[in-house]
Amino acid sequence: MFQDDPFLMPRNAASARLFSLSKESGRNAAKYIIKQFPQYFDKTFAEPNVPCLMPEILTPQIEGLSEEALKERIHLRRVKDSVDLFDRLVQAGTPVSLETTNSLLDLLCFYGDGESTPEKEEEKEDLEEPGVNASEQKAPKKQSQRGSQSFDSRWRENNNAERIFKIMPERNAHSYCTMIRGMVKHGASAKAYDMYIDLLNERHKADVHTFNALITAVPYLKERFLERWELAKVFLNHMAQQEVQPNLLTFNALLKTLRRCGGVGKSMSLLVIKEMEALDIEPSLATYDHLLFIFYKDVGSYPSGIISEVLDDVEKRSFTPQDPDDANFFATAMQACCDLKDIKLACRLNKAMEKGDNWKFLDVDRLNAYWSKFFSLLCMMEQIDVVLKWYKEMSPSVFYPTPKNILDLLQALDAANHLEVIPSVWEDMKQLGFNRRHDLLEELLSLMSREQHPHEIQLAFAKCAEDIKAAHEQTGREQAPLEWTGHALGSVAVLFSRAGRTQDAWNMIERLQQINRIPTDQVMNEFLDCAKQTNCPDEAIKLVKLAASLDLPSSQRLKSRTEKEFELSEKQKKTLESIKSDSDSSDSDSDSDSDRD
Amino acid sequence: MLSTENDKSAASKDSTTEVASKSQEGTAEAPKQKLLDIIGSMTVEVSYRKKLKQLKTREIKKEATNTLEGLDSEHAMLQRTTEDVQGGKPLSPELVEAVSAVASSLPLNKKQTESELLAQLRRHEETTDKQKKGGIINIRNVISEMAVKRQSPVQSGVRISSRISLKVDEDDQRIKPERLSPRSFDSRRSLKVGRRLNIFTKASKETENALKTVSSPTIWDLEFAKEIAAVTAQPPRNGFEEMIQWTKEGILWEFPIDNEAGMEDDAEFHEHIFLEKHLKDFPKQGPIRHFMELVICGLSKNPYLSVKQKIEHIEWFQNYFEEKKELLQEI
Repeated sequence: MFQDDPFLMPRNAASARLFSLSKESGRNAAKYIIKQFPQYFDKTFAEPNVPCLMPEILTPQIEGLSEEALKERIHLRRVKDSVDLFDRLVQAGTPVSLETTNSLLDLLCFYGDGESTPEKEEEKEDLEEPGVNASEQKAPKKQSQRGSQSFDSRWRENNNAERIFKIMPERNAHSYCTMIRGMVKHGASAKAYDMYIDLLNERHKADVHTFNALITAVPYLKERFLERWELAKVFLNHMAQQEVQPNLLTFNALLKTLRRCGGVGKSMSLLVIKEMEALDIEPSLATYDHLLFIFYKDVGSYPSGIISEVLDDVEKRSFTPQDPDDANFFATAMQACCDLKDIKLACRLNKAMEKGDNWKFLDVDRLNAYWSKFFSLLCMMEQIDVVLKWYKEMSPSVFYPTPKNILDLLQALDAANHLEVIPSVWEDMKQLGFNRRHDLLEELLSLMSREQHPHEIQLAFAKCAEDIKAAHEQTGREQAPLEWTGHALGSVAVLFSRAGRTQDAWNMIERLQQINRIPTDQVMNEFLDCAKQTNCPDEAIKLVKLAASLDLPSSQRLKSRTEKEFELSEKQKKTLESIKSDSDSSDSDSDSDSDRD
Repeated sequence: MLSTENDKSAASKDSTTEVASKSQEGTAEAPKQKLLDIIGSMTVEVSYRKKLKQLKTREIKKEATNTLEGLDSEHAMLQRTTEDVQGGKPLSPELVEAVSAVASSLPLNKKQTESELLAQLRRHEETTDKQKKGGIINIRNVISEMAVKRQSPVQSGVRISSRISLKVDEDDQRIKPERLSPRSFDSRRSLKVGRRLNIFTKASKETENALKTVSSPTIWDLEFAKEIAAVTAQPPRNGFEEMIQWTKEGILWEFPIDNEAGMEDDAEFHEHIFLEKHLKDFPKQGPIRHFMELVICGLSKNPYLSVKQKIEHIEWFQNYFEEKKELLQEI
């Protein structure tokens, strides 16, 4: 997808998205230029010629008022021109054949009276949005392609399709069918149903695609679950009566409707599966996706063996796409495994995904979500060495960990008592761009500062703490400065103290005061230990003064500790004596203030 | 309220305190029992009841040995409950006595009747206890469901069993859902077993072929095919896949490089180079032959003409010299 060079690969999700969008927009800009100025691209230098890079001839060649011209415009998918030409032909009295009218209706119903290529969008393209183009194929634009398909224009009242349908001198089954399909596609389900009744009244037979469309429209026609199922069954019975053989898409549409039928869905979906089996129609991934959704959508529903059986089937086959909903299967299945907290099922699913061409069903976004869930499950359920193995293999090449994944990883490390890995996790966090997230920083700092560790680890932790301090202090041009919290400051102070960096630790404690927080006992004890280690009695005295000025209950204890454990000179002893922990010693307070300055 | 009334009347009539306590439980279960009967009557209940009774009798026979404690009070209560199951009428002590009279009038089956009724009472007690906890909500749900419409047996079986199963699936094994409806939808649901819709029949091969009408693909078909192809068309994962894709599109040449890629030439190389055979109509000696050999030499080195064009050239010369033959002869 990107420049195939380890240095140039994007390191986190944000830059990956930026790279892919910019690549896409560049490609679209080039296409736009070729389309707008084909006169500059008429020489073919390449031998053999590369037709896909040459400008396409999209202007209609045949002129004049004839059916041939109409057919050409329909073929080129010029909706407005076709409608205009048709109207002129009708006004001129030229008869238009039923077939041509039907293909015009097809065009209109498919595009719902909109244009096939949104002209205006292409003109004001900027770097942010890749163009959304319904009719241009080529390698799919993963983000924009989904957008173009889900955004369907709505069916306007008495639009061109309806108008032409009404003025047609004769209509056949195809006319009705294409109208029904168009209405369903663009959201006019009630009209589609009426049109279907008309079709029946005219004693025509609908085809399998029309029935599929009607079945998908059922949730919009009825509200109650049982009524929906009954209506779907009505359609199925009509299919059987009209001797229309159902295909895979029929059953998938049925299951999709059953997704919105609550409890009825659960019992009926199995019947549907058995029916498919009886007709020798092999289920596709979309079938299984609907099935899993029906059975596993409420978290906490009692477990059934459905997912295991589904995986049995999926494991054996390498699938080819047969339904646009096939792409959702792996994400739904992984979600179900995570809800059931079953790692074995998840591993089986992963193996099935890696078999044959099955990996192709996951596009970049879905892949990220899938792996993110899988990794969270692994962190929860597996031993730490397995987790770390997966982590090193899969991120960041296959997926980019989400903040939740990092949190789960930290918790897994904590549970397995492997906190020494934390500095390398921090490095990854910096690369992923999470070094300014409060929740992750808090978690990281509290894990590091909770207990004492061997010396090298402590030094590494102190380095991390320094990094975090730098992250808080940097004021980039666009970023607001990161706010310190009391807990974070305390943890950093503790970490510095444990590594013997007395001055840094003292700076942190002073910062605490600046944001009006009180250092905890742990912080102060650690600091005192550090001062003892590095033999800085002045710092210890500073701390005692601070504690006294804040009227902390532990100040007395700190004072006595300082007296006992440190070798103090006479001057220092006197200073220490003068510090009193009562509030009425205002003189010594003012003294200590001036001392500190 | 009903229960307290019955309590009083029951207490006044029954002799033992045991009976009184039992009657309390028994009368408390009366509304629940009535409810179950109403629910039962909504479904294809003849079969349900028969089934239930069959299953109960089967289980009763198993438990017959355990249940022959033969308490008379329980016996009376059990008889009352049997009456309930059969008639659906409110309990009354007279009924109890009547039933006991009936039971005693059948001396042969007395013990079996007793055991049957004991088992049934136990079951009803447990159901009652559980449904007591569920209580009013249960009834409201059921009534609201009943108000909708006459439900098909399938669906009402679904509703009832799902409701009851929520309450009693832990330990009351006997009112498990699969007995209430023919379809299993507890944890034994499976893709492998189960019934089908039975709406369609498989088309035979001939009808399948006959139904396949050949028509040019409509815009719906074309766009659907594009959508399907887009499902698995992922962007290339690495440089190799990108090169493969470009080769398929024609942007990159295919390796090993083929000099003649894109060139359509039907003839082999020797037909281009060895053109002497076309000279057989010309004289074998003389300047014409010499000239034609030079022509052939030039043609064989020409990469731009097709074999046909070369033969045409030679034929043109042939025609030319034929025409000029008279002139040349004169010379």
